[in-house]
Amino acid sequence: MNPLKDQLTIDALTSLFELVLPEIALVGAACLSLLACVVSSRPFLHYLITILAIVGAGVLAFLEDTTGNAYIRETAFRAPILATPAAAFARWLILGVGFLIVLISRRETGKQLSSEYLSCLLVALAGTSLVTRANDLVMLYLALEMISIPTYVLLYLPSRNQQGQESAIKYFLLSILSSAILLFGLSYLYGLTGTTNLTAISATLVAGQEGGHSPLATLAVVFAIAGIGFRITAVPFHYYAPDVYQGGPTAVIAQLAILPKIAGFFALANLLGIIQRPYSDLPFPVATQIPLMLWVLAAATMTFGNTLALLQDNLKRMLAYSGIAHSGYMLLGLVTATAFTTGQAPRYANGWDAILYYLVAYSLMSLAVFAVLIYLNSEDESTESVDDLAGLHRTHPVSAAVLLIALLSMIGMPLTAGFAGKLGLFIGLYDAPTSNGMGQSYKTLTVFAAINAAIGAVVYLRVLGAIFLRSPLRPESSQTRGNRLPLLAAILCSVGTIVLGFYPQLVWHRGQKASTHPADRMVNTQVPAPR
Amino acid sequence: MNFILGSLLLTVLFAPLLAAACLAILRPAKAGTARTIAVWTSAFHVLLTVALFVLYSGHVNQDNSLSLGFQPKVVPGDPGSMSDSDVITYKTNWTLLSLSPDGVSAPTVQFFVGLDGLNLLLIGLTSLMFFFAVLVSWGTITERAAPFYAWLFVLQSCVNGAFASFDIILFYVFFELTLIPSFFLIGQWGTGGARRDAAKKFVLYTLLGSLLTLIGIIGIVLTNPIPVHPTTNKPFYFEPTPRAMTTVENEGNTYVNGKTGPITFSIPILMKNVSMWDSMEYYSVGHAENRLARATPAGRATAESELATAQQNLAQRRSMQFWIFLALMAGFAVKIPIVPFHTWLPSAYGEAPIAVTMIFSAILAKLGTFGIIRIVIPLLPEMCVLYGLPLFGTLGAIGIVYAAFCAYAQRDLKMLAAYSSVSHLGFLVIGLFSLSREGLSGAALHMVNHGLTAGALFALLAFLSRRYRTLDATQYSGMWAKYPRFSFYFLIIALASVGLPGLCNFVSEMLMLAGLFDPRNVVIFGRGLAIVAAVGVFLASWYTFTMIRRVLFGPVVEPPALNDGAAITGDVHAREVIPLMAMSALCIGIGLFPQPLLDVLQTDTRRLAGIVDRARYRLDPQAIPIPEPAPERPVRRGPVENALREEAPFQPGGVPNVVIPPQPKNPLPSNPK
Repeated sequence: MNPLKDQLTIDALTSLFELVLPEIALVGAACLSLLACVVSSRPFLHYLITILAIVGAGVLAFLEDTTGNAYIRETAFRAPILATPAAAFARWLILGVGFLIVLISRRETGKQLSSEYLSCLLVALAGTSLVTRANDLVMLYLALEMISIPTYVLLYLPSRNQQGQESAIKYFLLSILSSAILLFGLSYLYGLTGTTNLTAISATLVAGQEGGHSPLATLAVVFAIAGIGFRITAVPFHYYAPDVYQGGPTAVIAQLAILPKIAGFFALANLLGIIQRPYSDLPFPVATQIPLMLWVLAAATMTFGNTLALLQDNLKRMLAYSGIAHSGYMLLGLVTATAFTTGQAPRYANGWDAILYYLVAYSLMSLAVFAVLIYLNSEDESTESVDDLAGLHRTHPVSAAVLLIALLSMIGMPLTAGFAGKLGLFIGLYDAPTSNGMGQSYKTLTVFAAINAAIGAVVYLRVLGAIFLRSPLRPESSQTRGNRLPLLAAILCSVGTIVLGFYPQLVWHRGQKASTHPADRMVNTQVPAPR
Repeated sequence: MNFILGSLLLTVLFAPLLAAACLAILRPAKAGTARTIAVWTSAFHVLLTVALFVLYSGHVNQDNSLSLGFQPKVVPGDPGSMSDSDVITYKTNWTLLSLSPDGVSAPTVQFFVGLDGLNLLLIGLTSLMFFFAVLVSWGTITERAAPFYAWLFVLQSCVNGAFASFDIILFYVFFELTLIPSFFLIGQWGTGGARRDAAKKFVLYTLLGSLLTLIGIIGIVLTNPIPVHPTTNKPFYFEPTPRAMTTVENEGNTYVNGKTGPITFSIPILMKNVSMWDSMEYYSVGHAENRLARATPAGRATAESELATAQQNLAQRRSMQFWIFLALMAGFAVKIPIVPFHTWLPSAYGEAPIAVTMIFSAILAKLGTFGIIRIVIPLLPEMCVLYGLPLFGTLGAIGIVYAAFCAYAQRDLKMLAAYSSVSHLGFLVIGLFSLSREGLSGAALHMVNHGLTAGALFALLAFLSRRYRTLDATQYSGMWAKYPRFSFYFLIIALASVGLPGLCNFVSEMLMLAGLFDPRNVVIFGRGLAIVAAVGVFLASWYTFTMIRRVLFGPVVEPPALNDGAAITGDVHAREVIPLMAMSALCIGIGLFPQPLLDVLQTDTRRLAGIVDRARYRLDPQAIPIPEPAPERPVRRGPVENALREEAPFQPGGVPNVVIPPQPKNPLPSNPK
């Protein structure tokens, strides 16, 4: 049969565009904003376009969610884009994050830069969303670059000083290096399986497990993890983060702290087969040592992040390390998700649902902190170090309250979003099966994570101590802090954090629905034997 | 009625939060206004709690059923109380988090609060002590009084919530939340220069401990799912007994264990699951041994492998439980604190304002011991029998002696009171792990008594502190001549704290000592620790009488008078007399008539003792026979209690309560619960 005339493939490819209408809208708006720049550089116009684009994308996403479920069509898997439930979940998160970032970036765009800045942001948002739905190696790589390239521009645009330029160039070079490593790994996967379609690659790898595992496939995925590890700031690929965070403009850093993490975790999950395949039937089971590598990666990332954050005085450096630590916690979810073999299925938390929830919680709490930092930074008064926050509860009670909620959430205190996230991660990890060669090491890792959370608490408590227990170092400035939009974003984030703390079900339920494979549900209805 | 009680309980839990919100929103500029609001709201809260007590004791009959799970009597959100039928189900429908995508059998974290014998007294004590704390703080909090009282009330809600929780995650949530108000209360209103470090140290130590407790809780929940029937997949609560197993074997049948069902976070259900799984693993070994003995040569290999599997499962379960026990105890040991996990205590108690120190030693320390009695003992009975006294009993004994000597060495009266509190808490830990009915009753009562005496001691110190701003013992002497009424209360409280007969601590300490002499405890730990505890009583009187002699008797010496106008002079004021008189009266009252309180506690301590007795039997069936339960007095029962199916008493060697029928000829009936 002539593959060029295969009606199923043609259908799959032609029905592709309706799956990415919101992303097309975002990119279209970005182009429109760039063109409109020629006519007028008024910030209001560009902000209007951007907000309208995000709202429009939201409407389109809503329509897609409610009308058709393309996922169930069998031919859908042949296309380079696959609308999985997890991707639909992520799209809402990405649009929400985008909206909040637009709110906080007003001060940094100034009068001239809004057009370029906002269009880059829109492209990066579209790229992140495309990563979550990529079902093809080429698509995946291109979508990842759609996040990186605008970020180079964004880092460079508002940088007027040497530090900012250093941070931009550092990110640029290392990002290119990581992309090269990722491409190298992906090329091996293509060479082994003869296809770039991720569904087909997973299927081929699973089918090939009959006669032992292919060491080349393991090597390929090791390189891919190294490349993606750069984006989720996993140790030892994290080293750029503190410098870039310290030098870069804060709103861009907020974006850099969140979007690549969402994209990175989705890319990793997709490569490891977690998104598409049942947990009991993954292409890289424990015997391939990949789960062991993830174990080490998670443990190292948590520990390095938390302990190095202890040593920081600069707030943005501290946030960089704290972001690394949170990536470590989320990697625990991947460790859980890859722990199952044939006949076993996750019972209560499968790890991937905890990651989805934690991504939401992490976005809320880190955006809140970044928004407050932007709000407090003014021309004459910079808020760079922990000491600058001393006595904040006297000078800026609202900012202090927002930081209290966000930092408690980072500690993982109950009644904040962070608690339910950690609880889900810990339950999943503790419940991971012991019968597949990893023994009790999952439980050890759970204890390790708990100790890490306590170390992390030292970091955040130090900041909280400065805010609430010290008296202000400088006289209260009478001037208002300019634009109040960042404060609005911060308040929104902290309200979200509290709401999720009281009723985590709101997001947890959706994450779990998006992360459960029907085949695993079948395993679960037959009650599993005690482990 | 249940609905009214449930709503009242919710009001008692959240009224302080409401008061805190009012204070935070109104932000009265003057300290006096905030104080007035705080006094009246906390006094009103005491009234609410009294109303709850009266309604509860009038409504709920004595529960003599031998059920081995806690049965909270007043559960807001109880589906029964929502409808007209008024059938108590001891459950709630208020779900906070569901851990499974398909909703029906999903394990859910629920807002499951209720009242039973164990928490009723503590909730009352909490309400009372916070009222007293507001009174005690009268002249001492002058700066930003409104947020101070707001945080104090938030702390009250968290503590009450932890006491009332019957969902294990909810308990943890409240347990952990107490850290946030404590952080601010110590750090912002502390009296010393090192208050910031003290606050951080306190939070970090407790947080590390309680994160390990969270792992322990997850472990408990995951290793004790609801057992389901092998064929019908319905919950399966027929516990194997020795006699039942014998019957099964004599008929040539095989006993089949239940399968793992969905997990649960409800403490009462977890208790039943724990005793089911513990027994099933234990009796499977005996069953497999007997089968091996009867096996034909052909079936021998199978029987041997079955025995090996059963033994391995039992050993695995016990080793896992050991680690879970350590993890759970980590948080509670830091919170109590048990020496050597007490290093946060001197700085936190020393730096905090005295009203907060009072709350810490009277109420917050009880969260740790309450965690032991509510979670550790019922959910890990075997580990408590094996390692409770040897590990934590020994640490408690070391703590008694160590803290007593520390208390003797202190020149600061506040630190003396703090160390004396640690010493008494060591006693309490030993009493808890004596694991007999007397010991558990004594320990549960001692939580209340210790709260009263330790709280009262700090209230007395607040009296001195407000007059002289110093608590250096060397600067005081002969106070009896100057403040006779104060000295009178001082003497009563000090004697009660020492454990003089006729005062409250005597009753609970005697009960705990009696519990330690339980012959089933290993002699060296039971009696040995009892001797150490008795020495501890002696040491307590030693340092307490030394303090009394130094402060109350001798020639009048007082610290230099303050000239700042804010200080008060003269003997006990009207405001100060309320807490002192009330607490002294309670100390005498409980000392003379402890029975009403013990009656409140007895149902639940008996349940706990029953659970532990089964565990003891499983660990060593031959050593000590279990005393037969005394015949129950017939009691008047309401229609509600009669409607409940009782679980049969456990009688090893007696008439079996359940005969396990052969599989699968005659499938077991499904359990209505």
